[in-house]
Amino acid sequence: MSAPLASSRQLKISFTKRLLNALGIWCVLVGLVMAGLLAFPKFGQADNLLNILRNVTLLGIVAIGASFVTYGRHYIDLSIPPLMACVGLVTISAQPLGIGPSLLLGLTAGLAIGLLNGWAVGYLRLNPIIWTLAVSFFLDGFLRWAYAGHQVYPDADTTTGRFFLDLPQRTLPGGIPVGTALMLVLALAGHWLMTLTRFGRQLQLTGIAYDVAALSGVRVRRVVLLTFVLSAFTTSLAGLLLSALNRQGTFDTGQGYDFNAITAVVLGGVLLQGGRGNVLGVLGGVLLIGVLINLMTLLGIGSFGQMVVKGLIFMAVVGLTAWLTRRSGRSDE
Amino acid sequence: MTDNLTLAAPVLQMTGIAKSFANTYAVRGVDFSAAAGEVHALMGENGAGKSTLMKILAGAFHDYTGEIRLHGRAVQLHSPAHAKAAGIEMIYQELSLVPQVSIAENMLAGRLPVKRGFLLDRAAMVAETRHWLEKVGLDCDPLLRVDGLSPHEAQRVEIAKALSNRPSILVMDEPTSSLSRREVEILFRLIRELKAQGLAVIYISHHLPEVFAVSDRCTVLRDGQRIVSRPIHEFTAVSLVELMVGRSVTESAIPREHEPGEVRLRVRQLTRKGFFHRLNFEVRAGEVLGIGGLAGAGRSEFARSLCGIDPVDDGEVDLDGKAYPGGDLCDAIRAGFAYLTEDRKSEGLALFNTALQNAGDAVIAGRRTLLPAAAAREGFARLAVELELLPPEPQRQAVQFSGGNQQKVLLAKWLATNPEVCILDEPTRGVDVGAKRVIHEAIARLADRGKCVILLSSDLPELVALSDRVIIMRKGRFVGEQRRGVFTEDSILLAANAEDGVS
Repeated sequence: MSAPLASSRQLKISFTKRLLNALGIWCVLVGLVMAGLLAFPKFGQADNLLNILRNVTLLGIVAIGASFVTYGRHYIDLSIPPLMACVGLVTISAQPLGIGPSLLLGLTAGLAIGLLNGWAVGYLRLNPIIWTLAVSFFLDGFLRWAYAGHQVYPDADTTTGRFFLDLPQRTLPGGIPVGTALMLVLALAGHWLMTLTRFGRQLQLTGIAYDVAALSGVRVRRVVLLTFVLSAFTTSLAGLLLSALNRQGTFDTGQGYDFNAITAVVLGGVLLQGGRGNVLGVLGGVLLIGVLINLMTLLGIGSFGQMVVKGLIFMAVVGLTAWLTRRSGRSDE
Repeated sequence: MTDNLTLAAPVLQMTGIAKSFANTYAVRGVDFSAAAGEVHALMGENGAGKSTLMKILAGAFHDYTGEIRLHGRAVQLHSPAHAKAAGIEMIYQELSLVPQVSIAENMLAGRLPVKRGFLLDRAAMVAETRHWLEKVGLDCDPLLRVDGLSPHEAQRVEIAKALSNRPSILVMDEPTSSLSRREVEILFRLIRELKAQGLAVIYISHHLPEVFAVSDRCTVLRDGQRIVSRPIHEFTAVSLVELMVGRSVTESAIPREHEPGEVRLRVRQLTRKGFFHRLNFEVRAGEVLGIGGLAGAGRSEFARSLCGIDPVDDGEVDLDGKAYPGGDLCDAIRAGFAYLTEDRKSEGLALFNTALQNAGDAVIAGRRTLLPAAAAREGFARLAVELELLPPEPQRQAVQFSGGNQQKVLLAKWLATNPEVCILDEPTRGVDVGAKRVIHEAIARLADRGKCVILLSSDLPELVALSDRVIIMRKGRFVGEQRRGVFTEDSILLAANAEDGVS
């Protein structure tokens, strides 16, 4: 019979194609690293490379969760920055209760905001951009008001405070920082969740064709809600680490993480049109941003210039993918 | 009389038309003509090249080859604007009107009359619109919003809009798909009037009786080539279908192996206020229950509620003596229900996912974990053989299949859940004859395996060929029931139309 033969060949072609798609961003990354090695002797030194990794760790953790929202075709949770601030403030404020309760309270606060966003977007079908923008504005104002614009500091004299402040400095055997290890573990877990589980499969369908998903028995509202909770979860973890790194909690912790995260997600091949891409690609996108920033610093481009470049890259990637998908016939209203 | 028509000078003469997409010809070497005062039917299975040929005429492509002559003059139809200026108007299945805007603004969009340079001349706008509405026999206020019109009135507005550009050729692509039988007759009367006024009408449809009723001449396309072009009275329904399919078709009634057995599905007093009221029925093992009725009778609404997609206000459902507690579609799928939507493109298939993915979409609802990849591929291969999917490639995107094969993928998606109650809403809408046969056979097999099938269809021959029993629905209620051997297309239609005469 010829049909199974033909189908297995098709499968192989598509497998290599998929592999290439998934690895595309990694190829770019390797190319950029090679260029960096040739241009700057300092670039390839172990401490510089470790530094790059350390610098993108928090962004990576945020982007891994955020990519689920994008994959489900709801773009991005714009309340990421105040969410990170909120988690930091709550955790540090609750430290008199002990390390366990304070971390738990901080994470709970973050997840509650994720739940609120997921409910509004998933169940009430509100526009994700407008809704999370409103939540972002509200939360930012609320935190400034509640803390009267002040910072809170962990008390380094208590064991709780010391444990908290030491968190980002801890390393695993082999010298890998705890945060980086967390990012890698989350990336693998996220990749598994997105590509190999029932939830991931249902999310893919929801992202690429919402009505079809709803009429295939997918509980679309719950699926959408979960993406916002996942995004809030990794964002909260990043918020904790960032506050510990800054040795303080303030209302503007996390500024810029919303835009950087969506840039990394899109650069990593998760289309804004939903249902395309994967978490390992996003990890590649994150590392690419890290390498780019590092190279720009070595080239002497200041932080303002770097913002301009990041903005340009985002515009180029979004424009290019939109153009390519339209050309390939995948309509995008 | 028809012979005179073929002698009349053609308004449109297309010679040796060819257009290819990525190395495969959609049409090649096609000759086609249309004369003033004639209705020319263009027939063919999906993928035969009908729409490509008409899109060329509408100026959708700039890279076709061949010659197009209008009124004897060679023209290049390289953009929609060229085609419009040359007097060619298209009416598609989906209407192109803006619902929230008045009839007049829809009709005169782009050339609204103005006075004193910039003010909207409301009186002139109304007068001109009314003039064109009269032409299509529609007597309503031009300032009415389009969403206040019934589908067939909206279609007449669409025709009036096309006429207001004073075309010499009017192309109608499946214009009756959303119309009831009575509305179809009104449309045909209008087409005959337009014809008498000297318009050349090109008519595309899958409904054979309509083609015989309205057209003068018929051209059959197959595999991108013209097979034949003759006066319609030289065809019979059987010969026409044979020419379209390219092989002889056996008669459409599907034989069944077993008589229906025990009652499996019981529905009592099912009600959703404003949509359907106190529906009672039973379905036996191995029975195909047809639900007939005109568009808007509430068939789809009832089916969607039965499967938990839409809410229910009242009623009880039990399957095999077990009360079905209700819930969402996911619960319904777990209980053994399947609902094949009538809207394949926006609700049925994720067009940019592969056939394999699409076929597995409904299975997931019933399981906690994913089906192992090997099992999913194996199941797909089996269904692809059973449904004669062409090409049987699991990794091909749904959008790259023809309409008939897309529908097979959609059916495979629900067959894969191994449903006990299979609700099929227009399972063969807009598919070619070959795919229709395959789907009908699959439905018969479902029944032979003892499943309950509920078939919702506006296609009367289909309803008659497949159903053991037909319930007729009108305005959200069941108004009659007829058994196999008793019902005919006519009897069902009469029952569906009863008391609906003059409104």
